Amino acid sequence: MKYKSQAVAMPYFIAAIGLFVAQIVFGLILGMQYVVGDFLFPEIPFNVARMVHTNLLIVWLLFGFMGAAYYMVPEESETELFSPRLALAMFWVFLIAGALTIIGYLTVDYATLAKYTGNDILATMGREFLEQPLLTKIGIVVVALVFLFNITMTVLKGRKTAISVVLLLGLWGLAIFFLFSFYNPTNLVLDKYYWWWVVHLWVEGVWELIMAALLAFVLIKVTGVDREVIEKWLYVIIALALVTGIIGTGHHYYWIGTPEYWQWWGSIFSALEPIPFFAMTVFAFNMVNRRRREHPNKAAVLWALGTGVMAFLGAGVWGFLHTLAPVNYYTHGSQITAAHGHMAFYGAYVMVVITIISYAMPILRGRACNSPKAQVLEMWSFWLMTIAMVFITLFLTAAGILQVWLQRVAEEPMSFMAVQDQVALFYWMREWSGVVFFIGLLAYVASFFVKGKEQPAGA
Amino acid sequence: MRAACPPLPAPRTPPTLAGDLAIWIFILAELLAFGVFFIAYAFARANNPELFAAEQLALNRDAGAINTLLLLTASYFVVRAVHAAEAGQSRHGARWLVAALGCAAGFVAIKIGEYAAAFSAGISLSSSTFHMFYLSLTFFHFMHVLLGMVILGALWLNARRGLYGPHNMNGIESGAAYWHMVDLVWLILFPLVYVIR
Amino acid sequence: MSGTFTKAMARNVFYGGTVFFFLLFLALTLDTTKALPKTDNRHNITADVAAGKHIWETRNCLGCHTLLGEGAYYAPELGNVYKRRGPDFIKAWMMAQPTGTPGRRQMPNFHLSDEELDQLIAFLKYASEINTQNWPPNIEG
Repeated sequence: MKYKSQAVAMPYFIAAIGLFVAQIVFGLILGMQYVVGDFLFPEIPFNVARMVHTNLLIVWLLFGFMGAAYYMVPEESETELFSPRLALAMFWVFLIAGALTIIGYLTVDYATLAKYTGNDILATMGREFLEQPLLTKIGIVVVALVFLFNITMTVLKGRKTAISVVLLLGLWGLAIFFLFSFYNPTNLVLDKYYWWWVVHLWVEGVWELIMAALLAFVLIKVTGVDREVIEKWLYVIIALALVTGIIGTGHHYYWIGTPEYWQWWGSIFSALEPIPFFAMTVFAFNMVNRRRREHPNKAAVLWALGTGVMAFLGAGVWGFLHTLAPVNYYTHGSQITAAHGHMAFYGAYVMVVITIISYAMPILRGRACNSPKAQVLEMWSFWLMTIAMVFITLFLTAAGILQVWLQRVAEEPMSFMAVQDQVALFYWMREWSGVVFFIGLLAYVASFFVKGKEQPAGA
Repeated sequence: MRAACPPLPAPRTPPTLAGDLAIWIFILAELLAFGVFFIAYAFARANNPELFAAEQLALNRDAGAINTLLLLTASYFVVRAVHAAEAGQSRHGARWLVAALGCAAGFVAIKIGEYAAAFSAGISLSSSTFHMFYLSLTFFHFMHVLLGMVILGALWLNARRGLYGPHNMNGIESGAAYWHMVDLVWLILFPLVYVIR
Repeated sequence: MSGTFTKAMARNVFYGGTVFFFLLFLALTLDTTKALPKTDNRHNITADVAAGKHIWETRNCLGCHTLLGEGAYYAPELGNVYKRRGPDFIKAWMMAQPTGTPGRRQMPNFHLSDEELDQLIAFLKYASEINTQNWPPNIEG
């Protein structure tokens, strides 16, 4: 690596992968509970397992983003990190806070946890994805601010590139919109309205800036294409993402007590939301086709291309599938939503974090690329996980279509639980796909330990 | 760092990028957004012909017509400014831009008057489907006019400093293209929402 | 068009476009805020409803159920459960959990007092009267 302080990225990446494994274990538990209802009850009720599954996802992606920033920013700014010690200290604070929260979820009754963590002073818990106790939320804000301070100071004292500026904007946006998680009015409609300012403006807003910056960085490194060209396209893509995505928030405002016109605004703008993802796919393939060098890290290139394709499929295509108000009227809150959520998160954010890890980790370990043997295993893990995720999505979509039909469209609608029995076969197939995904993930972890013929790093 | 890894093939020839592609992507994206909006309008109108016809009558067509003239005039002035810059008379072009800005300001003033009248009559996004479209489409366009004015203002500052000339037309041509797009959208919007019955 | 579309222009489009659409979003939010009293059933928010929402949140109900279609998809929609089942059924149901039927999905017993159950039901009643533009399509949620 070019700068010593980039090394602080390593523990972040390791923690991210570790938490990823834990997330998938809980995913398998959830999948099992869908078909064997009393599985692990009452030790781990579904709601607890789900909270752990989704919160771990968010936390490990945040670890991945922070690790990526610590790796990229010194290299982009051409200067050492402002304070590597602060970065390391925050790593431990975040890891311990995250671990304590998960242990709290698993060992303490949720209402008791709320009582002892100040939820009566400021009630913020019990809302989807924002289940964290108040103390954890404050911890997240503190860690984020210290992290942003560290990164911003580094950028300010060094070279300012488009990539580092866009990354910073994304990370600042992430922190700022998280503040809406502290706003929880009794009025349910207002509560939901601003809840989406965290959730939607994260994943279809500022996170896309982070994702695009990560992808652009890796593409510059592995293709050798001129920085001017890549950075121009970076701006084009994120402009399209925000232009469509900000008003696209409206696709969440159809049925939650907000005025009817959101059905028009939301449909129109979210119908355009696939465009930036399509542009990103075209961009990734274009840059790799125009590459001016053959980078030896084939696995990283594969992950980068995979991100483009899967983000387009998961976020773009599967998002569009149910985004128009007349369709969403029937699909809202069904397994279709779950199908979209799984593939979009995997395709956009999981894969982009793995892309940067795949590129940076060998360098952090003192070599330009892993041995061919290790790379072959990593590429196997790519295909196993990606194909498994495609099948998870397809089975959930099938379950969702059937669910919508039986429960909402049919002349004599069936009750929710009766429908769940009808679609159990698809849930079983989803669970088996999940097992394949987990095998792929284990192969991915194993690829870090494959020795093979390694080549020492040059300069 | 890469020295130890498999040997690199010779670098390929540097790629050439069609330069204007990206600005056209944006203009197409804008037209697409408006286009989808117009289709949605047509769709909603087909479902409620009486409501749309009745409420359309209440709109101030004179204000709309004057605004159409103002935007067209502004577009003409922008064209003159571009020609002036092409002829190497950037500062002269700046005066044309001021005239265009004046027309745009007139548009904004009339539009604000229209909105004030609408709001005092109790028209809002939620008062009817037609009002929803009338306000949404015109306000979306209104914001484009404001952004267009910011862009014309930036062009004016540069033109006044004599920045544009036969060899530097990129900025002023791009800004002008944006303004013409705003004008073009209005030319569809005005008959669609105000006139066609 | 002469010349090329430069990185600086792409950057300006990004900043301009973002500010533009964020302002538009704020304008729509302002209008929504003004229009909400007509649809969000706020005049029926009582102390009981507030307490009920607190109970709803601290039992992590959204970890299994949906409320107006948002939450987890493991258990039935509860935005309209008040209309589907009525207060007495909800109360009896909550007290009878878990069923313990082998292989069936289990709901924990939250050991709520009678007063707490009433508050939770008040919250669900309030939620069921929000104008959701006729969603869900039918009573099954």
